[in-house]
Amino acid sequence: MRDMKELQVSLNQTQKVRLQTAIQQLEKFTARVSSSADASVTVAETISVNHEEGVLKGHGTSEVDGEIVATLCGVVEKVNKLVYVRTLRARYKPETGDIIVGRVIEVAPKRWRLEINFSQDAVLMLSSMNLPDGIQRRRTATDELNMRSIFEENDVICAEVRGFQHDGTLHLQARSQKYGKLEKGQLLSVSSYLVKRRKQHFHHLQDYGIDLILGCNGFVWVGEHVEVRDDMITDDQENKPELSKPNFKSMSLEEQEQTYTPLDTRQNICRIANAVRVLTSLGITLTVDVIIATVEMSKTLNFDIHEMVGAEFYVQVAEKEVERRSSSTKKK
Amino acid sequence: MVGLSSGEKHFIQGGIAQDLRSDGRKRLMYRPISIETGFIPQANGSARVRIGATEVIASVKAELGKPNPLQPNKGKVSIFVDCSPTAAPMFQGRGGEDLSAELSVALQRSFLGGKSGAGAGINLSSLIVVEGKICWDLYIDGLVLSSDGNLLDTLGAAIKAALSDTGIPKVNVNAATSPEEPAEVDISDEELFKFETSGVPVIVTLTKVGRHYIADATSEEESQMSSAISFSINKHGHICGLTKRGGSGLDPSVILDMLSVAKHVSEQLMMELDSKISAAEACEAE
Repeated sequence: MRDMKELQVSLNQTQKVRLQTAIQQLEKFTARVSSSADASVTVAETISVNHEEGVLKGHGTSEVDGEIVATLCGVVEKVNKLVYVRTLRARYKPETGDIIVGRVIEVAPKRWRLEINFSQDAVLMLSSMNLPDGIQRRRTATDELNMRSIFEENDVICAEVRGFQHDGTLHLQARSQKYGKLEKGQLLSVSSYLVKRRKQHFHHLQDYGIDLILGCNGFVWVGEHVEVRDDMITDDQENKPELSKPNFKSMSLEEQEQTYTPLDTRQNICRIANAVRVLTSLGITLTVDVIIATVEMSKTLNFDIHEMVGAEFYVQVAEKEVERRSSSTKKK
Repeated sequence: MVGLSSGEKHFIQGGIAQDLRSDGRKRLMYRPISIETGFIPQANGSARVRIGATEVIASVKAELGKPNPLQPNKGKVSIFVDCSPTAAPMFQGRGGEDLSAELSVALQRSFLGGKSGAGAGINLSSLIVVEGKICWDLYIDGLVLSSDGNLLDTLGAAIKAALSDTGIPKVNVNAATSPEEPAEVDISDEELFKFETSGVPVIVTLTKVGRHYIADATSEEESQMSSAISFSINKHGHICGLTKRGGSGLDPSVILDMLSVAKHVSEQLMMELDSKISAAEACEAE
């Protein structure tokens, strides 16, 4: 799978100074928010456990002279007696109910295997997803043979974490029409700590005509809006997905050009994608509001889409974040 | 290898057809370029160049050697490229060898000119110390640290930056007493002379996707290419080398068309590189 391709900007002297002041101010805010001082640690920093008895040392910790010392940079997590360090750049750790975006890497008997930036591949069983016709029934051998007509290798899919099985494998489910294959758009991969678990991960941005899916695993999908088909009303005319779905491979170049995403939608997709890229490289948590605000800011300041990944916009986004946080702390 | 679904491929092709690529660039735009020079103290010249997420290091090492008897008045330059496994898992072991060899050949073709050394980007005569006896051998090494498409252009830019950073020590030769004895050589530590690098070409790769061609393709876009041509063009707009990759053939008229576009793009790239290199050297001097 692709590695994280992070944006790297080269700043000039004044931009460097501006960015540094912005980051210093941001650090002040975070210091005020975090209640305990040792919430985040660096290597060789002591983790205070308040002389509790029988503390269990977890991942990223070591005992030196009777004190617990961090061996990784990250956030200290405490679960009952267990103390461990969660690194920020770590892989995604799934929880039941998470909405994730993944890529199919293998079509296996009765299941698809998906890459989801977890330490192992996730499994999506044929039986744990709705069939295109929307009828609840046992999966037959024919269904199994037609699995590639649903998802192929390399397809990008949105699904929900069902849970861990007894053997430790991670299972997914896609029992609703909102889950499924994602097309006509781009997939961005960001560090998973930047996407927090929320009520809503699917966002239909009506003003832009765009679907934005913030997968808990750090895969972000930005694509053209697709109307969700309600499987209750499927009648016989609509019941032929093979006919309605365009097959890109068999089309000639001219036919393909007619099915391209309209230019204004594409502009919006690229703008949002670049907003996500800038926010990610600054380490700002991704929420719809912040993304939209960044997009609007780029529009009002007359930045071209490709200039959004440049140095000037990068610094301005950092300064905007300072402004946003200082106004939100004043309200409290 | 980049795995893309048919929907994403279609989206990328559509973007190129509509002149708005996935990161908002137009077809002939480059990603942001950043250059750092002189950070390897052991080398005579070094540079790190980043174009988008592609990152390479080039270093120039000079050694005293003997010139080729066929060309007694010219020094020797060799270029090698290595693909680090940090760039992609497929470069592990011998995996990157094919690509390294391909890149090395393309770079040698672009920078070194013909077998006789005529038409090289670097003035080979300036490397001579004693004609027919002593000359400087330049070893130019490229290392690919991270790969997101357009490796050749990035390596070309890195070599250009490294060469302009290179300082060759001045050599004082004490005339040998007898013709059999080797001449005594005294390498000065303080006095360095710089190359004339204005003749070093830049490399512009145009990648053809669908019916259009793009500059500075990312690895995703490269996976959709039908063919790509790398032009190395010098300051006067003359073509120093040409490399074609990809299986499908090109119509001669398309090549001519690409050629004139590449020439135009190279002028802008040359200006940008020159200003970035001088900025990097000013930064280093501080």
